[in-house]
Order: sequence, then structure tokens, then C-alpha cells
Amino acid sequence: MKRLVVIPAALFFVLVLILALVDLAPPAFDLRPLVAENLASSGVAHPVTAVLLNYRAYDTLLEIGVLLLALMAILAVSGSPRTTSNTSLSASDPLLAMLGRIAAPVMVVVAVYLLWAGTSRPGGAFQAGAVLAALAVLLHLTGLLAGWQQPGVRLRWGLAGGFLLFLSVGALLLLVEGELLRYPPAHAGVLILLIESGLTLSLGLILAGLFLFLSHDQGGPR
Amino acid sequence: MMIDLAVWLILLPLIWASLAFMAGPGRGARLAIPALGLQLLLVLLLAGTVSESGAIGLAVGGWGAPLGIDLAADGLSVAMLLLTQVIALPLAIYARSYFQVKAPEGRYFWPLCGFLLAGLNGLYLSADLFNLYVTLELVGLAAVALVAADGGSRQLVAALRYLFATLLGSGSYLLAVALIYAAYGTVSMATLAPVITAEAPFVVWLAGGLMLVGLMIKTALFPFHFWLPPAHGGASAPVSALLSALVVKASFYLLLRLWLGPFAGLTASAGLLGWLPATLGALAIFWGSCQAIRAQRIKMLIAYSTVAQLGYLFLIFPLLTSEAALRAGIMQAFAHGLAKAAMFMAAGVLIKATGQDRVDSLAGAAQQLPLTMFAFGLAGVTLTGLPPSAGFLAKWLLIEAAIGQGAWSIAVVVLVGGLLAAGYVFRVLRQGFLLVPAIAADAPSFHPVPRTLEWMALLLAAASALLGLRGVELMELVALGGAA
Repeated sequence: MKRLVVIPAALFFVLVLILALVDLAPPAFDLRPLVAENLASSGVAHPVTAVLLNYRAYDTLLEIGVLLLALMAILAVSGSPRTTSNTSLSASDPLLAMLGRIAAPVMVVVAVYLLWAGTSRPGGAFQAGAVLAALAVLLHLTGLLAGWQQPGVRLRWGLAGGFLLFLSVGALLLLVEGELLRYPPAHAGVLILLIESGLTLSLGLILAGLFLFLSHDQGGPR
Repeated sequence: MMIDLAVWLILLPLIWASLAFMAGPGRGARLAIPALGLQLLLVLLLAGTVSESGAIGLAVGGWGAPLGIDLAADGLSVAMLLLTQVIALPLAIYARSYFQVKAPEGRYFWPLCGFLLAGLNGLYLSADLFNLYVTLELVGLAAVALVAADGGSRQLVAALRYLFATLLGSGSYLLAVALIYAAYGTVSMATLAPVITAEAPFVVWLAGGLMLVGLMIKTALFPFHFWLPPAHGGASAPVSALLSALVVKASFYLLLRLWLGPFAGLTASAGLLGWLPATLGALAIFWGSCQAIRAQRIKMLIAYSTVAQLGYLFLIFPLLTSEAALRAGIMQAFAHGLAKAAMFMAAGVLIKATGQDRVDSLAGAAQQLPLTMFAFGLAGVTLTGLPPSAGFLAKWLLIEAAIGQGAWSIAVVVLVGGLLAAGYVFRVLRQGFLLVPAIAADAPSFHPVPRTLEWMALLLAAASALLGLRGVELMELVALGGAA
């Protein structure tokens, strides 16, 4: 019964949306020339990285906060620390484990490359962090890495460290340059690379945590 | 240097929230409370700056709109910032002793609370539609996590429903931002205002509609209130207070800001549009009050009262052509924020002391916990709108604005709403003041509770009741700079 209402309503909405977008005039403002003009003083050579970590770095800062927040939400919901020990990793298929071991160093190299590539071509902290997180999930699924319990102090520093580093750089620039996240053009490249390196590690841990904190088995194939 | 104050209001809570997370579960109170004190000081200085030299704007990263992100603080923003910090400090002191006794719910309270407050402060300061979306997500996710943190299955269901509602709200807001960016190529509010007024294709009306509906869902305006009572009524007392007093005000503020800012041209050309939120607001007042009068559990009663009180905020929309209506709305946000925080805090004390949360089980509370019942009563005075409370001033301003524009129906709704509020407030007070013979076998036993809890509830309740006497300063602040 509900479907009879919801489906036509959704279709109607889609139709209205399409009609509205069909006769859309070109926008009054075009930001692309502005992005390109200031690229030289942004410290990076790739426009997407320039937008994410310089022009609109404040948005990115808060978005990292959102990701960290999502992880905290999972930790807050997942209840009191479980008492099961995480030392016993069940033995997995030796072939699978070997492939996992071979993939691991390659993926680390790919992550570092992506981080470095972000300054001049598509890439950056988000992509590199995602590769690191995928590595952690892979190791978990091949039985080489146990599911995570409530985080210890080192893991907590790792999770929040990248965000705090970004925040500290922003705050420092506010004190020195008088504006939040205003990089001096001469040092913009170095600062952005520093921020991105911290973010790569923390984002890798956060994204991996979204999976590993929810994984209730102790690793190994099921 | 004075302008930086605004930025520190966003950075400080982010810093102490991250440090609290790093310090470990349940820790961070000792860092948060002094930091919140500092934030209160900063916002007072900011209010001073703004009232001396008018609205301020600053460009994050030094780029300026439309390339970068602009922040702006005018009277309206500063008033909302003030409300946030004024409630947050006593609430944090309350939460510290509340969670000491009963630890597991509060394991991640401090980091989540810090992110929530940073999101709120960021939202009030932002002048960029996309940045506003990010702050909305910070606030929404932190609020959902705080509700869910209790861990009980009923709590999880409420949190999940809240999550879907808040995601639907921010999702339609984001779609609207995308449409606006497609139409104009910028998301800066200051840049958008003149171009929208000059020419608004159909897609912008669609975007405006999506924003209106999305933010009404997030503010729990009737009939989108379905998620609020279980979420606010079921969470632990400090969380309920935070959510009811502050979180729902953020999306209301944003709606108001958009209505008066970038979309001012559209809302002025469609004069009847304001009656849509106002009608829903009137229905919210009646529906919420009736449900509150019937509620069995005390926190559900207070949560339904929030549904009703939020209705008043939306009554101002048809009247916004006059400054008085805006003042009435902000005064109502203050009155309800302070009173509702106090009420949930008092309810937390009552529940801790009696060990149950039914309205019927409150008999004898006035003898055992006079401070708490007094706080609840004072907050009730504000909600019903008796002088000299802030609630009275808000309703007075609203009726004055309504009669000034010949909108008698709104004045009638306000008056009837006050009577209905008295209905549910006195239900609790009547139970609380019932005398219990000490020798009765089934006399409820009262556990001792930390005095701090009672005093903090009383502090906020007294502030809500006495704000009416100092309302002029606040109103002058709101009038400053107008809406950007």
C-alpha cells in the first residue's frame, strides 16, 4: 500500500528535477579561471588538491572531523570492551595468507605513491588512506590481522593524530598569518604535504576501523 | 585580533574534543570545562566587538568568496553563539557529575560533545552554503552518536530513526546546494543574494523547497517530529538537554538565515509562503502539547513539550517583514533553550533519585529535592510564558508583531499554546508537591544525588526566568547588522 504512494511520488520528483535541469542556463560565475590563476601560489600543481587543501581547506578539515566522528559513533555504540582475547588468530589457508603477504608491501608503496602524486595529478590523502584501509581489511580477511577491540592509547593517537595535526597547522597559521589556514605561498607546498601525510595515516586507520571495529570474529576465514 | 575570536570558537572545541578522544573513554571533563569557560568569555568579547563595530566577516585562507570560504558574524549569529556557550558550560559541569556515578553511557560523551559544539559554532559563523552542509553533518552525526551511546536496544532504534531523519534532511539540503551551484556557479551566500533576487529560474525554487523541507525535518517541525520524542526522551539527561536546547535550534537558525539572506528575494515575492511553516508550527503547538499532557514518562513529556515549543519558532515566518518578529523568534529560542536544558537536567536528577521515570512516581519530590522541583517550576514558568520570564517576553513580542500586522490567528495560537503548556507543567508540579506519609509502605525511596546536578539545573532555570528582565540588551544585539 505504502509503495503505491512512494513510487509515484519518487517518480514525480525525478521528473520535476529533470525538467528543472533541462533548461538550465550556464552559471553566472565560473570558478575555474580563478582556480587556475591562483594555482601558482597554492603550493600544489593539481587544481583538485588546491581546492581541497588550500582554497577550501576549512571544509576538508571539518570533513576529516566528520569521518573521525563516524568512527567515534561506532565505538560509542559497540558497547563495553569485549573480554575475548585477540591473541588467537585462527590459521588461514596458507596460499591466501601468502598472497596477502605479497600484496601488503605493494599496497603500501601504492599508497605512498598516491600521496606524493596528489601534488601534481589525481591522488592525495583520501585515496592513499583508502588504499591503506583496504590493505588492513585484506589482511583481516586473510587471517593475518585480528579484528580490533576498543582502541588502546597508541591507536587512539593514530586515529585522531592526522586531524589534530591539520588543526594545529590551521591554528598556527591563524596566529602567524592572521587568517585560519592561510598558507604563506613559499611554504604552502611543504605544509600541505605535511598535512596530507598525517591525514593518510589517520584516514587509513579510521577507514580500516570502520570495518575492523565492527568485525566481531578474531580474524581468519569463516 | 578581535576578529580571530570567532575562529577560536570553532577551533577550541575541536581541539579539546580530539584531546579528550586521545585521553581515552570517559576522560576529558577536566579539559572541557575550562575550555568552555574560555569559549563563553570569547563569545562575550565577540558580542562586545560586534555591538561596537557592527557585523564582521573574515575569509578563511585569505582567499575570500567565491574562491574560498567566508565566515561572518552579525547580531543574529552572535546571539545564537551566546545561547550555545551559555548553556554548554553549566551543562558540562552537570554532565561531569552525572556521568561520574554512571560511567558506561558517558564513555564518549566529551569528544562527541566537543564535535557537536564545534559544529554548532561553525554553523552559526558560516557564510557558505556548502560549508554549512558540512557543519550540519557534524552536528547531526554527533547528536545521533550521543543518543546511541546509551547502548540499550530501544535507544539504538531511536538513534537509527534519528539518523535516517537527519540524513534525509541534510541530504535534501545537499541536493539543493548542488542545484544552486549548477544554476549560479557559487555557494557563497553574500554572492548569491543579489543574483537570486535578480533572476531565479525554476530550479532555484526547487532548491529552496528542498532546503525548506530538509531543514524542517531536522528541526522536527510537525509532521516531521516523529523522530524527536524517542531520541530526546530516551537519551541520558545531559544529552537530552543538549539536543533539545541547542541542536534543533541550529537548523531553525539556518532556515531563518536562508529565508532572510540569499532567498530573501524569493520569499518576498511569494508572500503566502510564510504561512506554510506557521501553520505547521501552530499544529505542532497543539499536537505536541496534547501529547505532553498525556505522556506517562517524564522525559517523554518534556520531549513532546519540545515539539510544541519549536512550533512557536515557526510562527514568525509570515511576520518577518518586521524586525519585531525576528526578535520574538530569537527570544523564544533563548527562552526555550535555557528552560528546556534546565527541565531535562532537573528530570535527570529526579530519575536518578527515584530510580524510575514515571510522572506518577514523583510524589514527595518537592520535600526531598526542593531545589530540583523549584528549578523545574521556574523552567515551567518560562515555557508557559508567565512574566517576567524570557518566555513571557518572547510571546509578548510575538503577539505584538502579529497584531501589528493584523495576523490575529497567530496571537490566538500563542495564547492557547501558553494555556496548554501550563497543563503539562502543572501535571508534573502537582505530582511533585503531593505529600507522602513517611510511614506508607510503598513510599518511594530517594537516593542521594550530587548537589552540583541540582544547582546547575537551577542556574539555567533561573537564567530562563530572569532573562526577561535583561531582554533589551539581547534584542539590541540581534538587531545589529541584520541578516546578511
